[in-house]
Amino acid sequence: MINITDLTKAFGKNQVLKGITTTVDKGEVVALIGPSGSGKSTFLRCINMLETPTSGQIDIEGTAITDPKTDIARVRQRIGMVFQHFHLFPHMTVIDNITFAPMEVKGLTAQEARSKAKELLARVGLSDKADSYPSRLSGGQKQRVAIARSLAMEPDIMLFDEPTSALDPEMVKEVLTVIRSLADSGMTMLIVTHEMKFAREAADTIYFLDDGKLVERTKPEQFFTKPQSERAARFLEQVL
Amino acid sequence: MNRKRLRIIYLSLIAFTVLLVALGPFFPTGKTGSYSVSAESAAAPASGQKKKLIMGTSADYPPYESVDAKGSGEIVGMDIDVAKYITSQLGYELEIANIDFNGLIAALQTGRVDFVMSAMSATDERRQSVDFSEMYYAARNTIVSKKSAPLATEASLAGKQVGTQLGSTQDLYAATIEGAVLKKLNKIPDLIQELNSGRIDAAIVEDAVAVEMTNSNPELAMNFLPAESADNGYAIAFPKQSPIVAEFNGVLSEMKENGKLDDITKKWFAEEETSSGALLGLNIDFSILKDYIPYILKGVYVTLLFTLVSALFGLVWGTILSLFKISGIKPLEWFATAYTSVFRGTPLLVQLTIIYYATPQLFNYDIPALMAAGLAFGLNSAAYLSETIRGGIMAVDKGQREAAIALGIPYRKMMIRIIFPQALRTILPALVNECVALLKESSLVSVIGVSDLMRRADVVRSDTFRSIEVLLFVAAIYYVLVLILTSFARKLERRLRRSD
Repeated sequence: MINITDLTKAFGKNQVLKGITTTVDKGEVVALIGPSGSGKSTFLRCINMLETPTSGQIDIEGTAITDPKTDIARVRQRIGMVFQHFHLFPHMTVIDNITFAPMEVKGLTAQEARSKAKELLARVGLSDKADSYPSRLSGGQKQRVAIARSLAMEPDIMLFDEPTSALDPEMVKEVLTVIRSLADSGMTMLIVTHEMKFAREAADTIYFLDDGKLVERTKPEQFFTKPQSERAARFLEQVL
Repeated sequence: MNRKRLRIIYLSLIAFTVLLVALGPFFPTGKTGSYSVSAESAAAPASGQKKKLIMGTSADYPPYESVDAKGSGEIVGMDIDVAKYITSQLGYELEIANIDFNGLIAALQTGRVDFVMSAMSATDERRQSVDFSEMYYAARNTIVSKKSAPLATEASLAGKQVGTQLGSTQDLYAATIEGAVLKKLNKIPDLIQELNSGRIDAAIVEDAVAVEMTNSNPELAMNFLPAESADNGYAIAFPKQSPIVAEFNGVLSEMKENGKLDDITKKWFAEEETSSGALLGLNIDFSILKDYIPYILKGVYVTLLFTLVSALFGLVWGTILSLFKISGIKPLEWFATAYTSVFRGTPLLVQLTIIYYATPQLFNYDIPALMAAGLAFGLNSAAYLSETIRGGIMAVDKGQREAAIALGIPYRKMMIRIIFPQALRTILPALVNECVALLKESSLVSVIGVSDLMRRADVVRSDTFRSIEVLLFVAAIYYVLVLILTSFARKLERRLRRSD
């Protein structure tokens, strides 16, 4: 579904991604793990072109999104993204946050968009917050709204960029539960995370990145019990 | 909910504008001094069509020309009557434009007006720029000084501070007085004020004006200077090589012969106004304003309309410029930066005057004063606002843009619906400041004759020959307007902060 060939990204002289080649299948849940500065987030942000790759190619269902002629906005409609800091629109209520893009981009009527939004709010357990402003929500609630907002566009792929890193510990679980149920529903997902337990339970594949390279690409069981590389072993030693 | 809120703001803005427009017919807009007088004469030009002539005058010089602020608000005076008579004899339609005295020659040269009658003497200096008719009135120079320190002769002025009206004949005459220290002021009422406050020892004006000055200010005394030459005669000014000079001269000499000119002169000089007598110990008498209040208050509408138009124009154009600045497209960025630099780096008054006087010459379009003013203020304010708005946009969290992009929201929608509403909240205080500044600086437009609050105050000052009362009154009006504006802004701010 996603084919990535020799992807590199440099910020000035700083080479962040040094040639990554991989394939993500439909319905596959990938957890991206690695030390900070290893290029996980940059890799994720290249997949919806929030960062423009320096070289290499990314194909999503046969569309070369790295081709400048591709209408990237259309591709992005099919790729949901959840950020570490939520980025809800602060001047809109929860329900307006969710209905905005479906109405403005996909042309849904207000009625269609609202009923869809209410469904999604029920799914993330926030039906009672529809008319609240984001400033009234806790971090965990904000992140669940952000997930609902992305899902409202009915994406084929979901990208999560450290979705629980900015949360207080007691709120991590409520967000992971939502992501977990999404993973179980068969959504193709890439998740940058530091939650090792979650990665081990929810992911189909672990990508271990270090120094801009995809060092390991294995099943969770194998990665957490018998890491192949010495760098992964050292990393796991530090975090577990 | 956000849409509803924005809609409320839009609606209230629209309602406000509609209200203003609806009220419009009750208040005359634009220049009070611009009204048409249809000529009654049957002696129309050969073409049979009535041609319109525009006359420039500085209506702050009774009895020659002044605004009848107590009555119709029209411009009246001896010059006006003479002009009406001549144009009607020649079969022209007459329109009068009220322009500051020192802008009259420029108005002739730029073709804004066809001729000027404004108690203007035909000096050699002026003859270099314009053509004059025969003289129609000769006035004497007169010294006005405080009764307590009277100055009667030219010799007594040596070493004294002497005030004159900038650009007037007396201004030229005063330059020839030996030892006098000259101070040139824009208006007759300024001279009175300076006399009263002791900043000048004497003012040199012409006889008719001196009579009115001393009538309404009992503490002032006047002394006529001997009429030395025919130089002081008043004549009608025309652009160089104007074809209508001869026609006008013909009617003038007719008028001199048949006594029509004398009749008009008598009509305006006969009434010796009885002193209103500010006999109170305090030299401030607000009761003089009584009859002028409706006239002054009409200026509120002009001032508000002007502020609204220039603020909206400035906001829209400033937003476009700020988008240029962050566009990443080099030529647009350079343009916006150069624009800001020029408009911030030159005085607003200069820009205003250039736009008003240069537009007819450069684009052959006779730009109305109110439009020139709105344009100048809008263009100027856009330069400042573009920086403010740019700052506001930059201050919006980068994540907002990324979230919008990730959702596939197109640029325009993202800017209008996501970024601007958040930027607006940050920059609202700065926007309010800009509006307050515009409202107050709008008083500058009086120099090109827009009849805003300040212009009307000037008219009343020249009518009553008293300044402090009028100035305090309009200052109070400006202050109240600013208070209303800021309280409106506070409400808006509270509404925008509802999401916190």
